[in-house]
Amino acid sequence: MSIDIRNVYRRFGDFTALDNVSLEVRTGELLALLGPSGGGKTTLLRVIAGLETVDSGQVLFHGEDSTDRHVRDRQVGFVFQHYALFRHMTIFENVAFGLRVRPRAQRPGEAQIRRKVHELLELVQLDWLADRYPHQLSGGQRQRIALARALAVEPSVLLLDEPFGALDAKVRKELRRWLRRLHDEMHITSVFVTHDQDEALEVADRVVVMNEGRIEQIGSPQEVYDHPATPFVYQFLGNVNLFHGRVQDGHAMIGPVAVPVAGMADSASAIAFARPHEIEIIRPAPGETGIAARVEHVLAVGSTVRIDLEPDGGAAAIHAEVSRSELRELGLVTGDRVLVRPRQVKVFEAA
Amino acid sequence: MTTATAALAGLPRHAVATPVCAARDATTEPVWVRRTLIGLALAFLGLFLFMPLAVVFHQALSKGVAVYWRAVTDPDALAAIRLTLLAAAIAVPLNLVFGVAAAWAIARFEFRGKSLLTTFIDLPFSVSPVISGLIYVLVFGLQGWFGPWLADHDLKVIFAVPGIVLATIFVTFPYVARELIPLMQAQGAEEEEAAVVLGANGWQVLWRVTLPKVKWGLLYGVILCNARAMGEFGAVSVVSGHIRGLTNTLPLHVEILYNEYQFAAAFATASVLALLAIVTLGLKAWVEHQQNSPEPVPFDREPQP
Repeated sequence: MSIDIRNVYRRFGDFTALDNVSLEVRTGELLALLGPSGGGKTTLLRVIAGLETVDSGQVLFHGEDSTDRHVRDRQVGFVFQHYALFRHMTIFENVAFGLRVRPRAQRPGEAQIRRKVHELLELVQLDWLADRYPHQLSGGQRQRIALARALAVEPSVLLLDEPFGALDAKVRKELRRWLRRLHDEMHITSVFVTHDQDEALEVADRVVVMNEGRIEQIGSPQEVYDHPATPFVYQFLGNVNLFHGRVQDGHAMIGPVAVPVAGMADSASAIAFARPHEIEIIRPAPGETGIAARVEHVLAVGSTVRIDLEPDGGAAAIHAEVSRSELRELGLVTGDRVLVRPRQVKVFEAA
Repeated sequence: MTTATAALAGLPRHAVATPVCAARDATTEPVWVRRTLIGLALAFLGLFLFMPLAVVFHQALSKGVAVYWRAVTDPDALAAIRLTLLAAAIAVPLNLVFGVAAAWAIARFEFRGKSLLTTFIDLPFSVSPVISGLIYVLVFGLQGWFGPWLADHDLKVIFAVPGIVLATIFVTFPYVARELIPLMQAQGAEEEEAAVVLGANGWQVLWRVTLPKVKWGLLYGVILCNARAMGEFGAVSVVSGHIRGLTNTLPLHVEILYNEYQFAAAFATASVLALLAIVTLGLKAWVEHQQNSPEPVPFDREPQP
C-alpha cells in the first residue's frame, strides 16, 4: 500500500514538530526516516499510524484520504522503541492479542489463532518462547516478538519507531540485517525511524533525512550519502570536513584552492564540504597549491588510515582517510608539513 | 549482608583469611549498632503496637468466653457490624471506580486544572475527619443547604445511614487514586497504544491491558480503602447521631460501650474490629508479596543456538 503525506503541519505548543512535510511512501518499499532527535521523525511516524493528529495537511492511504480515520481502522502494524509488550501476558498471548480483540464476526477460531501465532513465532525464530513472559526475554527477543505481534493482524503498512534503539551494538547489527531479509521476503510497505545513519543507509531502500520538522532530502542511501542536498545532510551523514571560503570570479576560494561554482554572487561567503576520503594529501613542491597543514596524528587501524591535519592559521582540523598503500607512498609521520586539497568538494552559500 | 557473605563464600579460602572484620562489608554497621537499633525498633513496636493489641484481646476475654460471645452477638453489636460492612460495601466499590477514573485521567492526559484535581483528591487526607463530618451536616442537616428540601421530601441523610455512607466515601476517597496515579505514570501508555493499533476498542484496552497492568496496585489501594472505611470514627461520629441498632457503626459502638463502663463488651467489640484489621493486613501483605514477584514462572536461561 502506498502512503501519501501532503503538507502536514503539527505543533506542540511553541514547538513545531512537523513543518509542511510532504512525502510519498511507495508500495512495498522499506523507507527510513533519519534525523537527529527532535527532528520530527517519530511524530511523522505516529501521524502515519494515527496515534498523533495533524494541525493541517492530509494523509492518504492508497490514494484515499485517511487523515481522520481512527488508528484501529488503519490496518497498520506499529513496533515501539521500548517494545510495549503486554507485561502480564505470555508471549503467545501477546502475539494473539490482535486476533482476539477482533469483533466476533471476524475473529478466527481458537485453532486458527494457535496456528497463526506459531507461524509468526517461527518466522521470528522464537517459537520456543511461547509460554514465557516478556520480562524473561532479552531485548532483541522482545523486539522480535513485538514485530511478530504487529504482523499478526496482517497490516498493510509496518511502522517501526527506533526499533533497535534500545539494543546493544552487536544485536542491533544482526537484527537490522534480519529485518532487511524479512522485508525482502514479505514486501510489506515499511517505514522505520532511526537516528543511526549506518542503520538507515544499510537497511532502507530510500532514506528521508529530517531536521527541525522539515524534510532535508529524500533519496536512495547512495544518493543521500554521495550527493547531499543541503549542508545539514552533509554534516549529518558520515564524517565530513567543513571549509569556509569566499566567492571570487565564479570560484569559491578555499584557502588557495579554487572550486568553480555557478550562480553565486561575488564575495558571498561560502561553505564547502569534503568527506575524509575525498581529501588529497601531497608533499609541498614548487608549483603545487593546497592548504598548508601539519600532520597531527596518524591512526593506522583497520583497512584505511585516518590522518588528522592541523591547517596553518588556526582553522578547524582536517580529517583525511587514505589507503595503507597511499600512506606507504607518502611516508607520513606526525609533524610532517604537507599540502591538503579536496579532491571533490560541494559548495553551499553560507546562510 | 547476606549478599556480602554469599559473595565471600565463593572466594578461595586465603582471600577471606585476612582480619576477622574483613568479613564485614564496608557498608554495614558494627554489630552493637545494629543490635541496638533493631532492639529499639522492636521495643517500640512491642510497646505501642503489639501490647495494646494483646490488651484488647485480653480484656475482651477477661470475663470469660460467655460474656465475650454475648457482647459480640448482642443485637446492637450485630447491627453495628452490619452497618459497618454495608458502609464499606458501598464506599469501597464507588471509590474503586472513581479512583481508576481519576488516576486514568491524571496519568494519561494533560488538561487544564489537572494539578487542582490532584490537590482535591488529597483533601480528605489533609482535613480532619470531624470537619468532613461537619461539612455534611452543614450541607444536608436540617439547618443546611439541602436540609429543608430533604425534610420536605421525607429524606433523611444526617443521623441516618446515607450520611454514614457519604462520610465514609469522603474519608476513603483518595486511597485508590493515590495508589494508582504514580503507578500508571511510571508504566506509561505505550502498551495501551500498542493495543489500540492492534485493533482493540476502549473497553478492550481497559479490561485487557490497563486493569491487568495495575491490578496489584489497585487491590492494594482497595484494601487500604476498606480498612479505613471500616475503622473510620470521626466523620461518621458527627453525622451518625449514635442511635443504637440503627446508626451505630462498630467504632461508635465500642465508644458507647466504653463510656457506659461495659469494658468487657467494649473490648470484645473492639476485638472484632481488630480481627477485621488483622485480616486486612494479612491480605495487604499477600498483595505486596505478589506485587514484588509478578509472575511465578521460573526463569530459564536461553539455550545458546
